[in-house]
Amino acid sequence: MRCYNELPFWKAVRTQMLKVTLARFVAASWAGGVAVMLALGSHAFAAAPVLDAMRQELDRSFQVLSKQPTPAYFLSYEIIEERVTVVQASFGAVTASSTIENRTLDIDLRVGNHDLDNTHPLRERFGFSRPSPIAVPISELDALRSTLWFQTDRKYKDAVEQLTKVKTDVQVKVQDEDQAPDFSAEDPETFMGDLASLAVDRPSWVEKLKRYSAPFASSDSIYSSQATLGFAVTTRWYVNSEGAAIRDSEPRARLTVFGMTKAEDGMELPRFESFFAFDPNDLPGDDTVLETVKQMVSDLDALRVAPVAEPYTGPAILSGRASGVFFHEILGHRVEGHRQRSDQDAQTFKEMLGESVLPETFSVVFDPTRKRAGATDLSGAYAFDNQGVRARRVEVIADGVLREFLMSRTPIPGFSRSNGHGRKQPGFAPVSRQSNLLVEVADPVSGEALKQMLLNRLEEEGKEYGLFFEDVQGGFTFTGRGIPNAFNVMPVMVYRIYTDGREELVRGVDLIGTPLTTFSKIAAGSDEIGVFNGICGAESGGVPVSAVSPSVLVSQIEVQRKEKSQDRLPLLPAPPEPPAVPNSIRVREGGSIR
Amino acid sequence: MRRASILVHGFLLAATLPAALAQESVLMRALRDELARSMEKLQLAESEKPYFISYSVRDSSSVRVTAALGAVISRREGPQRLLSVEVRVGAPDFDNTNFLGEPDFRSALARASFPTPLPLEDDYGELRRMIWLATDNSYKQALDHLAKKRAALQNQTRVEEVPDFSEAEPYRSDSKGGAPELEGSLVEELARDVSGVFRDTPHIFVSEVRATSSFETISYVNSEGTSFVRESPLVSVRVTAGTQAEDGTPLEDAISRYARSPRDLPSKSELSELARGLASRLQELRDAEVIDRFNGPVLFEDQAAAELVRRVLVPRLLAVRVPVAGSSRFSRALDDAANPFLDKLGARVLPRFLGVVDDPTLDQFDSTPLMGGYAVDDEGVQTGETTLVERGILKTLLATRNPVPDIPESTGNRRGSGPAPSNLMVVPRNGLEADELREEFLSLVNERELEYGIVVRRIGGSQGRIARSRVSGGSRRSRGGAQIGAVVAYKVFPDGREELIRQSALMGISEADFRDIVAASDTATVHTRTHSQSRGFSSFGPLPGFSGSPLISLVVPSLLFEDITVRRSPDNIPHPPVVSHPLASE
Repeated sequence: MRCYNELPFWKAVRTQMLKVTLARFVAASWAGGVAVMLALGSHAFAAAPVLDAMRQELDRSFQVLSKQPTPAYFLSYEIIEERVTVVQASFGAVTASSTIENRTLDIDLRVGNHDLDNTHPLRERFGFSRPSPIAVPISELDALRSTLWFQTDRKYKDAVEQLTKVKTDVQVKVQDEDQAPDFSAEDPETFMGDLASLAVDRPSWVEKLKRYSAPFASSDSIYSSQATLGFAVTTRWYVNSEGAAIRDSEPRARLTVFGMTKAEDGMELPRFESFFAFDPNDLPGDDTVLETVKQMVSDLDALRVAPVAEPYTGPAILSGRASGVFFHEILGHRVEGHRQRSDQDAQTFKEMLGESVLPETFSVVFDPTRKRAGATDLSGAYAFDNQGVRARRVEVIADGVLREFLMSRTPIPGFSRSNGHGRKQPGFAPVSRQSNLLVEVADPVSGEALKQMLLNRLEEEGKEYGLFFEDVQGGFTFTGRGIPNAFNVMPVMVYRIYTDGREELVRGVDLIGTPLTTFSKIAAGSDEIGVFNGICGAESGGVPVSAVSPSVLVSQIEVQRKEKSQDRLPLLPAPPEPPAVPNSIRVREGGSIR
Repeated sequence: MRRASILVHGFLLAATLPAALAQESVLMRALRDELARSMEKLQLAESEKPYFISYSVRDSSSVRVTAALGAVISRREGPQRLLSVEVRVGAPDFDNTNFLGEPDFRSALARASFPTPLPLEDDYGELRRMIWLATDNSYKQALDHLAKKRAALQNQTRVEEVPDFSEAEPYRSDSKGGAPELEGSLVEELARDVSGVFRDTPHIFVSEVRATSSFETISYVNSEGTSFVRESPLVSVRVTAGTQAEDGTPLEDAISRYARSPRDLPSKSELSELARGLASRLQELRDAEVIDRFNGPVLFEDQAAAELVRRVLVPRLLAVRVPVAGSSRFSRALDDAANPFLDKLGARVLPRFLGVVDDPTLDQFDSTPLMGGYAVDDEGVQTGETTLVERGILKTLLATRNPVPDIPESTGNRRGSGPAPSNLMVVPRNGLEADELREEFLSLVNERELEYGIVVRRIGGSQGRIARSRVSGGSRRSRGGAQIGAVVAYKVFPDGREELIRQSALMGISEADFRDIVAASDTATVHTRTHSQSRGFSSFGPLPGFSGSPLISLVVPSLLFEDITVRRSPDNIPHPPVVSHPLASE
């Protein structure tokens, strides 16, 4: 029916972050331990006993299952180990410090054939698949094989049952509009990456996070604050019945800072900043973070007293980060290949291949092989997708013309192969998802020139002011047919730009619209690039993505009032300071009001 | 006798209070200071002030490791500190509680129904800030609920006017502080080593061992002057295993062991032995035969008797208040949730030779540790022995400060979000010795001219790992009573011969069957389990609470029922695996 796709906005981020913290993490010292164990573990393939055991069990099961009355024609195992450390502080005091280790198994078992198999979507059925992560032991190979055996058997029975339903569905319903096969043929990839082992210095991070969250305590009107470090080392082993064998291993660190205040009218006003790096040592230093925090505190103070913006339609500038999220929602989710074959999906771009959808100076590329943009690591980077297909750069829009879709191993008419975008969170079935979205403009103008273009338009249209979206928390979009196909980008810092160039901070609006109309209004891009690293949630779970874009001028946007809390401010003032608290660790830092 | 000693103990604590107060924790100080300020000043315009506030903080530090076949699958470690706030507005006779309204998740007030994370450090200023905001939210939610509750009742005359809050004596105690006794590496070793047992049992398809070590501290204060700190260290091991019989019948079971200290936990080799026992029991069940249907005398022995009491009788012994429905959509569901035993006070619910007692002050029974004890309950009510059933007659139910008709006072059984037993004992008068009971059983079999009777020795647990749904696991309740699967039962022939049967289920068993118990043994089994709060409606209503799963210990003799239905489980059977086990085929 619908797809609810979001980049992290503060509530979702916090739940998402929770997902991240709960579902996917790792303690670093352990990885070394695994390496040792692996080295000692086996005789034949001492370098990769886990892959070897997976291969052995896969072959054994596949041999039998491919000879059953309903034969299996494809089998893959993906094991993902996550060692996660989460440390969190609020207003200068530690609120969480935990370590989680998980190893989960996903099995893709297919019966039928490439043209029609058990994964064929049943029509008029909707809803998200629920995750079904299977816990798996890997440090004992017999234990690993036993689990693989039993879970494969369950998967096989489910697949046989599902294939019967699929065949019935195909018979009783009208013919599919599309006759694309269910599974593409791909070349098996082999890759043996080193096991990542990176230690995170927990005590020093505890101190850092206390320092980062302490400045929020300088304001009695900030009701919530968090500085969180999530550090994970993720190792993945993948084998399939076509001969693929992949092991890769990678650390990831995300530092997020959050603060929330409330206006007199009850409106909750959040500020959210996040920093991403593969190596935690590459995260910005204290000076940079504290400078950001200081800015957040003064932004929150300013937001609390800012006027509420009115619904508005007219020209606007989106900063690089805002524009990145904007493209992620309006374009990115609509070029995900599998949506072009679902009868529930609106398929905005399905028939527009080769047609011009953006100004001819605009190109949009998805490039998971790119690890950095400028000095910033891109969280949507990976070498192989979750179906063992090598990641590829995909030029979705070249010179304004729609060229390609993002493809998993589920083909659509005209695109029979994957381009390495089959992604998922452990426990879900992969579908085509975004990676690193890069908006490129052939004739960028300077930031100043972009603003001047906005002012010129205001004058032409006789508008009192235009809008500047400086920062966003994220967004969401609906791509289904059941409800109107809209998107929503949730800005946190929005300014009115008056005809005389004056800027005024406002609060309480969301940027909304429908995709095709909005595309036709994109006018120009600047040379100022912004990066948004976030988690994107959709039917295959939360996956890390990034969006890189210059700031853009849109000739007409629409904003609507934000949903707002009706709750009053706290009745009592903040509690008084204690006379003397011996073990207080509070650090106070002045937050100047702009 | 025991009760008297506890009271003396209480006096001693009271006498030493000033000294204890002097070194009160930073957390307690922050709670007390914000409590005092809120009781004095917290008021919205013309609305009512709170008449009662309580704070309960759960500090827990734990490590949990899951392992299978000698390898660690997952490990979680980390401390937590959560605050629950209870704010009452109105008056004890009628306040904001016992009301189930439409949840409004968009409002920040909804957060008041969930615990608030507090700083892990003893930072007075930050603790106060979080307590302040949580109290503010709870107070607003309380006002909102009180208004909605009044609205829901304004066109109705209440037939039963039961107060919303009962009185309780203030209680004070303090405690010392501690940490989990079992280190993370040892927990991991335990889980790994015990799970390794199943490497030698390829006939067991799935197995898992979960080991946990935790230390929990509850810090409680309320506006009536009650305050306490209660500490509970806990180590536990749970072993689960599952397989299928040749025909595919799913067979699953689990065993758990709990202790307050690693010294009291069975040793690693004893636990491994228990795991092996579990594996061989499932192996025996694989080869056992199946019966179609049996109606007649059934003897519940050992764990089976205790588990039967836990599943069928215990939910009836809890004074669960049915809240006022804020919407007609809820009212029918709520009516169905009412405990029929509320109308049975003074009625005979068991045979005259049986009684039921709940006693949180006990810590052992015949030198077997009891795990359900505590000195003070989650509402600060001092505990003591409660006689629930005397000579078969229902005297009272286990109650919290949330009264139900005819039970105006707490019995000191608030645990988590509602009432729960502590150490619950089924006490027979002149119970029979083992051979007498068996004789009685066989004579019933003869009397009914049956080929055999059935003895049930175990009611298993299962997670549904083998079969995808329904089958075998746990019990299901329906109008006709509970349906209980995963039963280890034997045919007993008049000559004393026994024969294991598998895949049997107890059908339609209800609390009414307990009245017709024919006999009980003079010995009893101690059975410790977690109590699930989701039974009954204890978790409804606006009262925040930690929806924990308190441990309960049951002490139950073998019980002989005259007429029980045992039949082959009505659930369908999944096929056995297509491919053979990887270790068996080598």
